[in-house]
Formats: sequence, C-alpha cells, structure tokens
Amino acid sequence: MPLTPCDKKLLHMSLLTVEDLQKSFASPSGQLTAVLDVPSFTLNHKEQVAFRGASGSGKTTFLHLLAGVLPADSGKISFDGHSLHSMKESSRDQLRAAKIGYVFQSFNLLNGFTCLENILLAMNLNGSSNRSWAFTLLEAVGLLEFKDYLPRQLSIGQQQRIGIARALVNRPKLVLADEPTGNLDPANTDLCLGMLCSLCQQWGSSLILVSHDPRVIGQFEKSIVWEDLNQVTQSKLTTA
Amino acid sequence: MNTLTVSLRLAWRALTQNILTSLIAVFTVSLSGGLFLGAWKTKQTVNLAFAQSAGGFDAVLGARGSQLQLVLNALFHLENSPGNLDWSQYETIRSHPGVSEAYPFALGDNYLGYRIVGTTPDLFVHHQWKPGTNYQVHPPGRIFSDHAKEAIVGAQVAAEIGLRLGDRFHPYHGLEYNPDTRHEDIYLVVGLLETTGTPVDQVIWVPLKGVQMMEGHDASSANAISGVLLNLKGSSGLALDVKYNKQGDRATLAWPVPAILSSFFNRFAWMERTIAVLAILMALVGGLIILATLRSTLHERRREFAVLRCMGASRAVVTGSILWQSALISLMGALGSVVLFVVLSLSLSSLIRLQVGVSMGLPVFDKFIFLTCGAILLLGLISAWLPAQKLYRSSLLESLNPHG
Repeated sequence: MPLTPCDKKLLHMSLLTVEDLQKSFASPSGQLTAVLDVPSFTLNHKEQVAFRGASGSGKTTFLHLLAGVLPADSGKISFDGHSLHSMKESSRDQLRAAKIGYVFQSFNLLNGFTCLENILLAMNLNGSSNRSWAFTLLEAVGLLEFKDYLPRQLSIGQQQRIGIARALVNRPKLVLADEPTGNLDPANTDLCLGMLCSLCQQWGSSLILVSHDPRVIGQFEKSIVWEDLNQVTQSKLTTA
Repeated sequence: MNTLTVSLRLAWRALTQNILTSLIAVFTVSLSGGLFLGAWKTKQTVNLAFAQSAGGFDAVLGARGSQLQLVLNALFHLENSPGNLDWSQYETIRSHPGVSEAYPFALGDNYLGYRIVGTTPDLFVHHQWKPGTNYQVHPPGRIFSDHAKEAIVGAQVAAEIGLRLGDRFHPYHGLEYNPDTRHEDIYLVVGLLETTGTPVDQVIWVPLKGVQMMEGHDASSANAISGVLLNLKGSSGLALDVKYNKQGDRATLAWPVPAILSSFFNRFAWMERTIAVLAILMALVGGLIILATLRSTLHERRREFAVLRCMGASRAVVTGSILWQSALISLMGALGSVVLFVVLSLSLSSLIRLQVGVSMGLPVFDKFIFLTCGAILLLGLISAWLPAQKLYRSSLLESLNPHG
C-alpha cells in the first residue's frame, strides 16, 4: 500500500523513545544481574523494525519494559505522549490495553476460550465489545469459519493467526511481536509474517519484532542487531 | 464490559476448564461445612425436640430411684420402670392442692415390641399435650372405655404394623417382644391417634385396669401403678420436691422435667466439645482444600495470566479472577453444606423418630446457618488472597518466554 503525504509526515514523528533504559534481575544467590542497558532507541509512527539477537539476551525483557508490564530500574520510555516510567501501574495497564498489541511465540491464546472469545476478551480489557469488528479481523486472517473453535482444535499456524488478530483488535499504535514465528514451519512463517506486517501497515500500527531467525529478519527493511543496542553483552549475561 | 464482569468470566471459565478439580473442592467444602453445621445444630435441635416432646407434663411421680429413668420411662417410653407405686400414693398426690392434673399409668406388656401403656381415658379427654391441643382420635374412632378391653393406637404404631380400627390383638408380656409370652386377653382397637410427633405415637394405649388385671399378671399388682404424670400449679413443685425427694423415701418426684432432660444432655457435653473441635478442624480442612485447589489451578494458569497482563489486564482483573474463582467454589460449597446439613438433619430426624418417636421437625434456617455460609465465603476469599497476590507478582519472563 503506497504511503500518503500524511503518512510520510507521520512516519518521521517518533511514537516511542527510549533513553538510558536499564534493568537487572536478582539471581538465585541474591546478586543483581544486569540484563538490559539500552542508551537510546526511537521508533516512528507506522515504522516496522526487527531485532535480531540470541536467545536469553534480554529481548523479551525489553518488550515487557516497552509495554509497561515491567518497571525499569532507571531510564525513560516515552510512548505516544505518555511517560511510561512515571506512570502508575494501573495507568500503564490501561495504556497497554488500548494502544499496545502483543504477539507471543506460542501458546498465545487462552485455552478455555474460543477464537472469537479470545479476540473479544482483548476488546473487553479495553472496555469495548464490537463483535462485527472481531469478525472483520477473523476474516482478515482467513479464519472466520473457525471462530467457534477452541485453540487446541487449530494448528499452530492457525493459532498464531488468531493471536495476530487479537493483537490488532484495539487498533493499537504499537504491536510487539516476541519470536512470533519461532514455532512455525517456513510456509506458515511466511504466511503469518506477511499477515502481521501488512495488517499493521493497513491499520497504521508500528511494529517491533524480535527474532533470532535471519530468514525472518531479512524480510524487514529496518533491522537492528540486538547486541548493538543492548550494552549488556552476552558474555556478561552468561557468566553472571 | 467492566473489570468485575471480565474477572468473573475468567473465573467461571477456569472452573469449568478444571471441572473435576473444582467439583472435588466444592464437594470437600460442602462436606466440611455440612458436618460443621450438623454438629452444631443437631445438639440444639435434639435438645429442643426432646424438651418439646415431654407431652406437656411438669413432673412424674414414680417408685424410688433415678429421676432421669422415671422421665425416660414415663414420657419417652424408654428404659424399664424403676418399680411400682400403690394406688393410695396416686390418690394422695391427686388430691394435693398444688397438683392440677394427675394421670396414673401402668406398663409391663407389649404388642410386637410396641409398649402397651394403661392409663385413664381422662388423659385423652382433658390433657393438652401442647398448649391448646388435646390428643385427637381419627373419626370414626373413639377413646377406650375405662373397663373394656379396648385400645387406641399411636400413629406410628398404626403405620408400621398396620393396626386398623376394629382389629383385635393379643398383648405379650414384658416390654420386649417374645412370641412365647402371649396373654390370652384380646383387645379391640377402637381409635387411632392423630400424629403428634412425640413418643405417644409409638404406644398402644389401653385402660389402666386392663394392664393391672391382665391374664397372667401377679394378683398383688392389681392395685399397683408404674407412676403418675403430673401438671403442677405455680411453685408447688418446690414443696412436692421437698416432700417426696428430701423427706420421703417411698417415691421419687421427677421435677422439673426440662431440667432433668438438660442434665441428661449435659452428660454428653464432652461429646459436643469433641464434635465442636472436629467441626472447626473440618472448616480448616475446607479452607486448605480451597487453597490447594487454587494453587493447583493457578500453577496451570500462570501463563494465561501472563498473556492477560500483556493484553492489558489490570491487577483488579487478575486478582479479581482468582478471588471470584475461590468465591464461586466457596458459594457452591456453602450451598452444598446447607444441602448436606438438611439431608443429615432429615436422616437423623427420621432415625430419632423411628427409635424414640421424637420428631425434630424440619431444619430451621436461622442466623447461624447464614453466618456459617458467610464464614465459608470469607475463608475462601482469605485462602485466595495470597495466591492472587503472588501470581500477580510472579515473573512474566518465566511464564512467557523462558529464553527471553
């Protein structure tokens, strides 16, 4: 889809800025272990970026910090005009429900709920309920006829497509995808990735995707090597 | 959809997803709560039922012996008679100015194990077994005549051995049925008593003279009676107590009947205390079961909550869902407790009625039951609070991406 002049202008406005972000976790011995130190990062509106990095290098922690699920030890995160680092937990929850979509590697969906209910639940958490929009999304991921199926009745690839629909249900400003193709075969990887990127573009959501798969990273115009961004090196992480 | 509804929906789905675990928890809580209610309420109900089944008498005069034995024998038709009184003793107490009603009775025979009690027709004409209520005979029956071999039959006896109006029967000697001890006398059933829910229902009533003059009975006992059922005026019980129990040595006055029954039940105080301790332990077990159930399902739900939190679920939704889950188990458990309590009460009531004729009536739904249900709910919420907080704080990294 070609970008409009308005889109081009928006593209150069930052949606997300990160400054001096640091996070440590206590090891079983009680010592603090630094897992993340990102001096600076910026993401523009409608921008799509992929992080490539090894497993266990702190990428998921970074996504949790961006989503406001975890509080940072220090640093600033500004998202769509909100300072996440100074917001109360309840406000961060509200902001996340309204403006951030999340796609996980696997086991994305709630097993006790049908595909439609999984999508409606994400809407409910944002205080809305619009079944026709849920149907539109199910159609967009090609699974409308599976709306009443439970997740276990679907293939992994189909589950991931429902996960994508759910992440986009509240028309989020930002979609965070954590190894979304990690459990998929190449055909489903291409299908899901294509769907995720095009739907984000179609509905104006920015996308941050993390993966350790070069084939996935190669499909993004902009990709960042995670170890270049995170100042805590892998050797420190593994020896800590 | 608000937080409350979303968390309730999540909780309900968690319950139905783990239906077996949930049912076991509900069943265990029901069992604990039901036994707890049963243990506490049965004592109260049995005491009350026995007190109300004393047949509207204040006192019993009988042979020298135990007051309790006298009451159980005369009013509840249990135990053996401690001995006999002379007719003159009956006449003496009947003419006492402090006595408003006096009915002599005699026993010593049975029919198929049901006691035959001899008394005067006045008992069925004048005595009110509960305020404002006399004994009633089903029409077209009537009360026996004083000098005829006639009988009126208690409702339970009639129902259980099928004695009908116009039937004739031979009494058997003694209080226990023995086919070899049949008397030659034949009695005619002239009336069937209406149900009273008291031990009277378990007795066949005949004229006093019938028992005294029964073929095969000792001729010396022709003027003897087993005791006298009494109603007293004002505080005359005190004077009679002094006269018979403290100064006399030929008879015993069992008075006041409710106090004697209380002293009987007080003998089982140790049992009540044991039941109370067991009941409290059961309640604790109920709480622990809820806790164990939640912990087991929460372990499985950790990932679900991590996903929900990433979707924007607030602390209220996460903790609310767990509290709702516990509340639903507790509520169903409380309901189950009440159902179990009703079943236990009705079974016990039926057993007691069958054994001693005392009707406990239907279980009473009072404040205690509602308080117990509230306590079960509270216990459930307290049990759920800590796991809920722990789950909210648990690491999302472990739950969502162990390699993150």
